[in-house]
Amino acid sequence: MTVPAESTRRILVVEDDPHLGAGVVENLRAEGYEVDFVTDGRKALDWLDGKPCGLVLLDVMLPEIDGFSVCRTLRERGDNTPVLFLTARGDPADRVRGLEAGGDDYLAKPFHLRELLLRVRAILRRWDWYQSASSAEGATLRFGGNEVDFRAFRARSWNGIAQELTEKEAMILKVLAERPGEIISREDLLERVWGYDVFPSTRTVDNFILRLRKRFERDPADPRHFLTVWGVGYRFMSEGET
Amino acid sequence: MKAPRVFQLTALALVLVSAVEVGWWLLDQHRFAVDKVREMHEVYAQEVGAAQALLDAGIPAARVHTLMPGVIVTNQHAALSPDVDRQLLAEERRHIAQYAWEGSFFIIALAACIAVIARALRAEARVIQEQESFLALVSHQFKTPLASLQLSLETMAMRPLSAEHSRALIERMLADLARMEGMVTQILESMRLDRGRIDLRREPVDLGGAVARVIAGFEERAAKDRIAVSAEIERGLEVMADPLALDVILRNLFENALAAVAPIGGGSITFIGRRLGGQIELAVRDSGVGFRPADGPRLFQKFSRLHPGGGGSHFGTGLGLYIVRRLMQLEGGQVSARSAGVGQGATLVLAWPAGVAHPDRAPDPTVSRGPLDPQTARREQS
Repeated sequence: MTVPAESTRRILVVEDDPHLGAGVVENLRAEGYEVDFVTDGRKALDWLDGKPCGLVLLDVMLPEIDGFSVCRTLRERGDNTPVLFLTARGDPADRVRGLEAGGDDYLAKPFHLRELLLRVRAILRRWDWYQSASSAEGATLRFGGNEVDFRAFRARSWNGIAQELTEKEAMILKVLAERPGEIISREDLLERVWGYDVFPSTRTVDNFILRLRKRFERDPADPRHFLTVWGVGYRFMSEGET
Repeated sequence: MKAPRVFQLTALALVLVSAVEVGWWLLDQHRFAVDKVREMHEVYAQEVGAAQALLDAGIPAARVHTLMPGVIVTNQHAALSPDVDRQLLAEERRHIAQYAWEGSFFIIALAACIAVIARALRAEARVIQEQESFLALVSHQFKTPLASLQLSLETMAMRPLSAEHSRALIERMLADLARMEGMVTQILESMRLDRGRIDLRREPVDLGGAVARVIAGFEERAAKDRIAVSAEIERGLEVMADPLALDVILRNLFENALAAVAPIGGGSITFIGRRLGGQIELAVRDSGVGFRPADGPRLFQKFSRLHPGGGGSHFGTGLGLYIVRRLMQLEGGQVSARSAGVGQGATLVLAWPAGVAHPDRAPDPTVSRGPLDPQTARREQS
């Protein structure tokens, strides 16, 4: 599955509460989005199997298949459609579970309408940026014997091993590759890839950088491309630091 | 490590330390008794020596025996009486036996106390855990209608809406408030049932009449959801029950059936009451979403919700069938549920022992299979 193309204005709402679902759908339509509405996890997976969309608003406690499982199944299918969890389970452990399942953002019920719309816009904006940045000349990145196809979320590393990139890995790589040689702060990476307050700390960025090093560095312990700038952030060197 | 586990280990250590302490105490007492007996033997040996000296000095044997009763004289030869020896041995054994009994008693009493305290603490921990889990579940149940309410209000505040749209949002908000009120009622009912704070009357209640009243109360909602409701209750069928509790049971069963049928766009609900073997049975059969047979027992647990609520007007709290089960237990009856599977409809069956029915009235052999009351019991909506 590749980046959703013309479908970024289409949103699927998966919510088993008819009133809440209807309220969310009405408001998204009023904002100009195309919105579809299903009430359980199985219907959501069936819907997503046939139609592309730009965002899934996903309740966690759903009949048939819960929201976390729906998200995991999507990711296993290679579907990188952004997922915003809407759920009554708002404690930190559940937020982490949602993001580990492959979710992009997490909004606890009851939520403010403006915040919901803001987050929806932010996620879609990130995808718009990723899509435009991955079009034509920006679709492929080559560095140190590695080759990354941003549209397909696939890569071939220096040793010939094929890699399947997650949506976040690809986005981080894209942000870094846009400004080779420049220092990019962790906060900037968080803002560009996740949004503002999804994660409690910038350590998440560090973990993703470690994953990129394992995929693309000849010696992850002595990186040449993904360099740490202590106390600030990271610098990407396409030619490799000597 | 959890507190009850820590307490159990501490209690075990305490019992072991106490056992060692009592064992040491027994050994000490045994040693003390043996020492005392040896000392007594030494005293008696000195007495025997003194008696022998008196005999050697020419004191008559009878006089020596009077002065020293523990000494016997045979042929001018003094010796310790075997009775004294036996007495000393018996005294030693008596002391040791006494300490053994007392020690065992203390150990048993200590173990019993620890067991009682551990049991109380475990029960308390269980109650606290249940309360915490109950509170978490309750707050979770409230968040969705609250979110819906907030969303409707913010929509009205943020957007210019037509009069029709505003009215629809107001109706939605009123429905959200009504469901929260219903949740509060059900939560309070379930808490009262859990604490046994409910005093049920037992009197003969006409089952057909009770069903008809409940059906009448849901007439409008069933019509709105395109659900046909009918009742087939044997004439004169009575159960010994609390009328209010029976009303709560029937309402909850009916709500559950409505919730199962509404999401599929309508269907039917049928109440069937009959005398069967040694029981009076009331089955509520619906053509709704059904459930996996393995999920049957879960239906009656707190906060269990198997029905998808979308597409219809159902907002379950997950407490209705739990309340039904608890009330039926208190009434001396049973409730069960069966379904052939998802999409196959379901039947929930209430059963009371036939013996509790009104003794003066025999079952009517002419069974009415028609609707109970044309005005209230049968509602056909299209």
